[in-house]
Amino acid sequence: MSDFAIEATQLVKKFPARPGTGDKKIEGEAASSPKKKRWQFWKKEPKVLFTAVDGVDLQIQRGEIFGLLGPNGAGKSTTIRMLCTLLEPTSGTARVNGFDVVKQANDVRRSLGTLLAGERSIYWKLSGRENLEYFAALYHIPQPIAKKRVEELIERMELKDRANELVEKYSTGMRQRVAIAKALLARPPILLLDEPTLGLDPQAARRLRELIAELKQEGHTILLTTHYMEEADQLSDRIGIIDTGKVIALDTPAGLKRRIDQKEVIKLEVTGWHDEIGDKIKSIAGIENLITRQQGEADLWEVNMQAHNSRTAIPRIVEHISGNGTRLVNMNIVKPSLEDVFIHLTGKALRD
Amino acid sequence: METSLTPRSLGQRGLLSDIRAFRAILRREWTIFRRYPSWIIALLIWPLIFPMMYILTGRALSGVDGSGLAVFTKLTGATDFIGYVVIGTTVWMWQNIVLWDVGFALRNEQMRGTLESNWLSPTWRFSYLLGHTGPQIISMGMFILITAIEFGLIFDVRLNGSVWMIMLTMLTAIPAIYGLGFAFASLVITVKEANAFVFLIRGLVMIFCGITFPISLLPGWMQAVAKWMPQSYLIHAMREAAFSNAGIAELSSDLIPLLLFGTFWLIVGYFTFLWMERRARQTGAIGQY
Repeated sequence: MSDFAIEATQLVKKFPARPGTGDKKIEGEAASSPKKKRWQFWKKEPKVLFTAVDGVDLQIQRGEIFGLLGPNGAGKSTTIRMLCTLLEPTSGTARVNGFDVVKQANDVRRSLGTLLAGERSIYWKLSGRENLEYFAALYHIPQPIAKKRVEELIERMELKDRANELVEKYSTGMRQRVAIAKALLARPPILLLDEPTLGLDPQAARRLRELIAELKQEGHTILLTTHYMEEADQLSDRIGIIDTGKVIALDTPAGLKRRIDQKEVIKLEVTGWHDEIGDKIKSIAGIENLITRQQGEADLWEVNMQAHNSRTAIPRIVEHISGNGTRLVNMNIVKPSLEDVFIHLTGKALRD
Repeated sequence: METSLTPRSLGQRGLLSDIRAFRAILRREWTIFRRYPSWIIALLIWPLIFPMMYILTGRALSGVDGSGLAVFTKLTGATDFIGYVVIGTTVWMWQNIVLWDVGFALRNEQMRGTLESNWLSPTWRFSYLLGHTGPQIISMGMFILITAIEFGLIFDVRLNGSVWMIMLTMLTAIPAIYGLGFAFASLVITVKEANAFVFLIRGLVMIFCGITFPISLLPGWMQAVAKWMPQSYLIHAMREAAFSNAGIAELSSDLIPLLLFGTFWLIVGYFTFLWMERRARQTGAIGQY
């Protein structure tokens, strides 16, 4: 058995893309020729490739929770889809539970429990129990064991009272629990959980995080992607940050935070914000990674930035904000969080 | 790190496991089918609506006393105009429903979001398509039975042949009809919107296979095209079995081509599926809505 639960070496995935679609990492004939060619009926359009994953190396140890973070379009879903055999890498290799994802795809699928499309991954016209019985058969679990396992999971996911009702009558949280139970049916050594708490209410999300921690205690290796930094921070043994198809940082949450230990994070709430104010603040020495986010419908903006020395920067920031209809509503200076590390590394917020 | 804790998958390899998975797919399809009760209304109304269009046109053309039907009988050898039309339109409906049901089976799963979760299991992937076929054949059998009952009761259409021969003809046609459906299902996953193809194929069946008229009426080149369409043989064999009391010897000239077409379309269907599966792994088409 391999030392690693998941191992990827120089994993690359390129997709065909149409020129002019706004894809940044385009290569091929069209990328190099700016001249507009006359379209001809009998001529094929030049082949254009978009690089979604660009040489990813990963080594995830057995029993570890590994968080994969990245903004939308960074390549994390593509990476996960290659690891679970839904996509074939363009180049590079990946092994899951010691099996090659291309040559031993069925063994890889047998080793994995996946939560990819959340509540949409189960049948709404079947009951919770029927869904689990169906997927148990697909995962080739012998019938007597499957029966026992389904009951166990119904109990564990607190679905017992409504297990025979159609899934369409369930809440989002209940559907997500059925989808997780589906991933756990075959008791696979490795779990791939893509945004497991997305759309859940805070209480359901907390219960799910507790479950993930329990699964780790039971020996499962978990590859987790999430948009919630606190979740990644709380659950993950190690975190890989992926941007524009590359892993740009990989460390423990504490190790990642140490990278910007010397910095402080200034968080402002401002009304009447203009982009010009942002430009002025960015020009202040020692200010980096200014990110703005509008709060709901109102004209209230959250402005975050990283500073080498907040004491010297704050008077100048306040000076730029005051007047011209702009008003400072609130200000905090905080220790860097994982999100600030992410902003420091990628220059953008996770939800951009 | 403790490696001894690593759980082992409960799944077991082997043919039996795949058979059990296939049975589960069949059961799932049948359960979901039963939970949409509107199919009962469709099952009662559709067998009447579509043939009625042709039957009423035929009545208008043949005159109120039906005197014009003598020309039709001379051309076709059939004395029962309504029975003749109903067999043609039922075969057309069969192919049409298979294209929508089996042809869009994977696409519907894809849009529902469940295709990926099925694809992620170690089950033989062609089973998902095969599994859609079982309940479809049962519902189609019910459709044909209801057609026979409705036209028997309302239009006094009477069989002059063996029910077993009709059933044998239909069984012989299953591989060709569903093989085309399999190939179609795989193409739909690739091109996403394939309504135009359904319209094209059913249009071809309507014009070339003689659903309401004898193929001999068509110009020579169209008759040549009809020979390459299994539905032409199916319609002819069904009419012979139902109204001319044809036995297996008389039907063999239709049944043998049907079996050959069936073999061809099953192979084409399977290999198109393999091609689609491979292409989807390269392009990510399975997860795209």
